[in-house]
Amino acid sequence: MTDLLTPKRLITKIILCLAALAVVMFVCSLVGTQKISLSAVFAGPGDTPGRNTDYDIFVRVRIPRIILAALVGAALAASGVALQAILRNPLAEPYILGISSGAALGVMTATLAGISLSFLGGSPMAAMAFLFAIGTVWLVWFTGHLAGGSTVTSLLLAGVVINAFFSAVIMLMTSLVDSEQLRSTIMWLMGSIGEKDFTTLLASAIFIIAGIAALFTISQKLNVLAFGAGEAQSLGVNPRKITLVTFALASFITAVAVGLSGLVGFVGLVVPHSVRLIFGPDHRQLLPTSALLGAAFVVICDTIARTIISPAQLPVGVITAIIGGPVFLILLSRYSKKVGTLR
Amino acid sequence: MSICIQVENLGFSYGPQVEILKNLSFEISAGTFLSIAGPNGAGKTTLLNLLSGLLKPASGSIEIDSKPINSYSVRQLAKKIAVVRQEFVPVFEFSAVQVVSMARTPYLGALAFETNTDREAIAEALEMTDTARFADRPLGHLSGGERQRIFIARALAQQTPILLLDEPTNFLDMKHQVGIYDLLKKMQIEKQKTIVSVTHDINLAAQYSDMILLLSADGSYTFGPTREILTTERIERVFGVQTFSAQTGQTRFFFPLGKFTKSQSSPPGF
Repeated sequence: MTDLLTPKRLITKIILCLAALAVVMFVCSLVGTQKISLSAVFAGPGDTPGRNTDYDIFVRVRIPRIILAALVGAALAASGVALQAILRNPLAEPYILGISSGAALGVMTATLAGISLSFLGGSPMAAMAFLFAIGTVWLVWFTGHLAGGSTVTSLLLAGVVINAFFSAVIMLMTSLVDSEQLRSTIMWLMGSIGEKDFTTLLASAIFIIAGIAALFTISQKLNVLAFGAGEAQSLGVNPRKITLVTFALASFITAVAVGLSGLVGFVGLVVPHSVRLIFGPDHRQLLPTSALLGAAFVVICDTIARTIISPAQLPVGVITAIIGGPVFLILLSRYSKKVGTLR
Repeated sequence: MSICIQVENLGFSYGPQVEILKNLSFEISAGTFLSIAGPNGAGKTTLLNLLSGLLKPASGSIEIDSKPINSYSVRQLAKKIAVVRQEFVPVFEFSAVQVVSMARTPYLGALAFETNTDREAIAEALEMTDTARFADRPLGHLSGGERQRIFIARALAQQTPILLLDEPTNFLDMKHQVGIYDLLKKMQIEKQKTIVSVTHDINLAAQYSDMILLLSADGSYTFGPTREILTTERIERVFGVQTFSAQTGQTRFFFPLGKFTKSQSSPPGF
């Protein structure tokens, strides 16, 4: 009986992860092309704006960017955890399943239709991203089932093909964008974390935290659902209802993250897998700790992205893919052998 | 004894051409050990899925404790009926005790953490199934027999009056087959549970069950006390195979006879 989760143990682990995230955010805020001194930052903004550049860079550039990276990481990692549970597939992930490109297609459609790129709560662009994301989940799930049940590889195949198709449509749309917008659009598609205004950050933070909190309330049911719909039903969980709610919530936070940062891949794969190795598969624990450590992971990746070829910057999606691609291949070769035993 | 499961004129088909069950009626009282036996394709598992509420009947009705099965919510039904399917390895590395603890899902409050009552039920289930010593190990690291005991422990921790099992001893060796059925019999006697077990092993059914429902591939069925229903003639009709029967104690056993059964007149090698 040593193995069961108690609220006390959960809180201890959440505090540990929060502390780790805080340390990562603090250290990364000091790293950058422009060296800044903490004492200058604490001196305050000064009497006239622009007087204290260290303060301005720290407060207006670094901090918002690190918060943004953390939000994106938390959303993508939590989304990965939820999708893996309901699809009973440790390789499910919003980017690989094409959900991220679905959301990106939604954003592009809204952009081309002439709606501004600002990301505010309830803006048509956010709604489009969400609608496209949830549509993609359904499409992948449906074609995956047609292609051979809920096995690991058929779902992934469906996701990869839909991803490729959406990417082609996005390319087509990109070529229609005028040249001024072209570079920023391409950077966004590759997954980049840039400056966002305070309202955008606040609205996104509320959406993402609310989405993860909602997922947490059904996390014990995700444990049960990971055994299959039939098993879940005999244990008192309505599989259809929980699956729908989870699809909706995972698509929602993915859409918000894509709106913030474009296509950042593999976060939802690498983070939950590593956390499972440390803390085990119980979703009540896996979900919150993955969200926090996912936040830390993307903050670190973004810090690498903005410093490694400084003064130029890489899209953060490049860094996460370089780390995530090999991890994905290792997991694929390991789990493909287990396909026959899945239900 | 009160009627626990009542099935009336039950029918089910997968599409218009494939009628699996038709006009099936039977009832069992609480505390009965019922075996559902029959050849492959007779609809044994389909019937189990209907009884567990996973499938909806095309016609007829199922009542659990004198109430229609569809009047129960998913959660309420999970407090009445626990289901054990063939053992399998889940994708994620849940430990055995974590798997057993999921039985408490229908009882958990809003925060979904196990209370002391839940922990006691889990500990008792591990104790009864003799699985406590490997409870901390991942399910995938256990043998098939150990895993099946864990799934039975989960069903016990669910604390339901009814236990449904779908071929619980498939792929298990003789010792574990008997071990699982001994355990089920113990549940019936000590906990007054109603046990419904699907099997195609006629001898396990003969040895352990009070009542038997024999389903044929053509949709007909026979239902009654195990000793009366199981005869060599009926088994030949339902399973399409001749058997030799022998009795030890109160139980009659049946051994299938193939074309190449060695007789005194046939030369060695045949």
